[in-house]
Amino acid sequence: MMVRSTTGGSGAALPVLTVFIACCMVFSGGLFALQTKETPVTEPPVAEPSVTVTPAEEIVVTEKTAEPIAEEVKDPAALRLEETLKINTKCLRCHKRERTKLLEDGTEMPLQVHKDDYLASAHGEVRCTSCHRAIGKRKHPSKSTNITIASQREYSVDLNNSCRKCHMPKYKQYKGSVHSALVAQGSEEAPLCSSCHNPHAPVSMVDYQAETGLPCKNCHENIFNAYSESVHGQARINGNTIRDSHIQAPICSDCHHSHEVTALAIGDVLRTTCIACHENVTLLHNQWLPNTGTHLDIVSCAVCHAPFAKRKFDLHLYDNIAQVPLAMKEGEAPIQDQLQAIADEGIEGDPLEIWKARGGFGQEGQAVDISLRSRMEVMSGVAAHQIASKSFAVRTCESCHEPGWRQKQNVTVSITQPDGRIQSFEANRETLSSVKAIESISDFYALGGKPSKLLDILLLLALAAGIAIPVGHFTLGKMIKEYMARGEK
Amino acid sequence: MMSTNPAEQKRPDVWIKTKDSDLYINPLPVRIWHWLNAMGFVVLILTGTFIRYSDRFDLMSFETAIKTHNWVAFAVIANYFVWLGFYLFSDRITVYHPELNFRKFFDKAFKQMMYYGYGIFRGHRSPHKVLPHDKFNPMQSITYQIIMLLVVPVQFITGLMMWDIKRFEVPIAMVGGLNVVVTAHVLIYIFFVAFTMVHAYMGALGATPATHFREMFTGYEEEH
Repeated sequence: MMVRSTTGGSGAALPVLTVFIACCMVFSGGLFALQTKETPVTEPPVAEPSVTVTPAEEIVVTEKTAEPIAEEVKDPAALRLEETLKINTKCLRCHKRERTKLLEDGTEMPLQVHKDDYLASAHGEVRCTSCHRAIGKRKHPSKSTNITIASQREYSVDLNNSCRKCHMPKYKQYKGSVHSALVAQGSEEAPLCSSCHNPHAPVSMVDYQAETGLPCKNCHENIFNAYSESVHGQARINGNTIRDSHIQAPICSDCHHSHEVTALAIGDVLRTTCIACHENVTLLHNQWLPNTGTHLDIVSCAVCHAPFAKRKFDLHLYDNIAQVPLAMKEGEAPIQDQLQAIADEGIEGDPLEIWKARGGFGQEGQAVDISLRSRMEVMSGVAAHQIASKSFAVRTCESCHEPGWRQKQNVTVSITQPDGRIQSFEANRETLSSVKAIESISDFYALGGKPSKLLDILLLLALAAGIAIPVGHFTLGKMIKEYMARGEK
Repeated sequence: MMSTNPAEQKRPDVWIKTKDSDLYINPLPVRIWHWLNAMGFVVLILTGTFIRYSDRFDLMSFETAIKTHNWVAFAVIANYFVWLGFYLFSDRITVYHPELNFRKFFDKAFKQMMYYGYGIFRGHRSPHKVLPHDKFNPMQSITYQIIMLLVVPVQFITGLMMWDIKRFEVPIAMVGGLNVVVTAHVLIYIFFVAFTMVHAYMGALGATPATHFREMFTGYEEEH
């Protein structure tokens, strides 16, 4: 009823409606057309192709295109990463190329960073400028900025502290190492973080050294070669076992640690290190070796277990109060120079005793009780790594306890340097039996060593008395009897 | 506890025939101690000599010498307590101190020296009359006391220290270091080399060269 009345009741309504509908269509069509034209403008800018290779970047781009609104509440970490990648991409534009820089010392420093390796590494999400802090828009070394680099070593030493920011625990360990001490002393060869870890492609060091010996072999090639021939090295090569049940055969870092690298020859560090794996060593030696504890204390493992190594008596200065090997302090003259100075003064007596009486390395007012502790050692670090199979180990006591053996041995006197290394200097073989040194080496004794000729003479006298008294008494008796018999006649 | 009267001594059965008049001077614990000690000392002297001069002899390996020396030394130490226990817990301790009279002691000692130096060759009887509770002449008494109460314990202690240097680290340091310990041990060894030879010779100065040796096996001082 209503329609009918509408259509039939108003003749002007139809054109109005038609115009309205047409206008709506035109308007909505225009809007549609307008919207279609604006689409490219609202799309996010296409990221640089070189950066889109990482999954992280893909995720960022996907978020942008699929849900533009999410960009406003993006995780700050993701934003930082995006920014980092942008900055690194800028650096890599130039540094991905194979190029070098001429340094002040005339050498050329390679500048190339392998982009894929870097981006795939753990450092791939770290800004280049996090480590290369001195680099900036106006600070980049170049002809225009007039910033130069003295040498690659100096540049690496400067950058060494950068690692501390993220790797503080390891950095602290490194700072306590003999390597770091050498760097502090100005060594040109001592390793920095970057010597072992390529900062532009760092990889896990687990199982890193086994086959190649790197990075240790870079500096310690002779020692690595000795190790690779040893029972440890061979076990590692032949399937990584050393006994039936077993334990991995050690690589360099197992004994020397990877960051707090120490000289194992100090005190009983070596023995402790060996026992860490060979935990029943005392029990096994106790089955046949008299005075096991003392032997393990004063005979370095390698002396018997590297049977072809040259050996020596090492007299180490020992602090009896602190119960540790005596260590020189920074800035002190080497002990041999101090002893030589005392000897040059022409004072009677053992220079070492005089040196001790004057306070040795002790601080003023501190009690000093220093003695020489003797240890059997192998002659070199190479020899210390030539550990043979147990069946080849020396088990004949005579190899050390034969009279005269001592006189054939090399003798060194050692002291721990401020950097933790041991400095040894040769001493006369007569030192061990010198009357002048009796007090200094009062604890030195090896059975069968026969250090005192006086006791040998006393033994001969005792034997002579043991024969002369009976013979003399018997002869005297006979003489008296004969004399009395003659008298009676 | 045994009787102090020689006449009351009950005669034990022994494997060597003795006369009824013989005195039972050396009870079984003393004889066991003496001969084990004698064998031990000989082995210790021989192995000790080898340890010290292993390049001169080719009797055994150094390791065997050390192990033998150690085991025998422990046996000798244990045996020492047989001697000590017997004399501490029996009245026979008087053999070392029949009477504590120093004047008498030195007088008898002088007479004994004169006997060994002269009277023995003239066929005189020893001025010391051996009795179960007065066994030793003054020279024997003083010598054996010094040996058993001073020299032998020092040898045991220094030997123990050398047997396990690490375990006895502190006492070794207290007496002046390992060299002091070793030197004391070697000096006593040298003394015992001479003592053993002289002791064996004096053992042969009985009525016949075998008399005293036989007495030390049977326990009876033979009448002569």
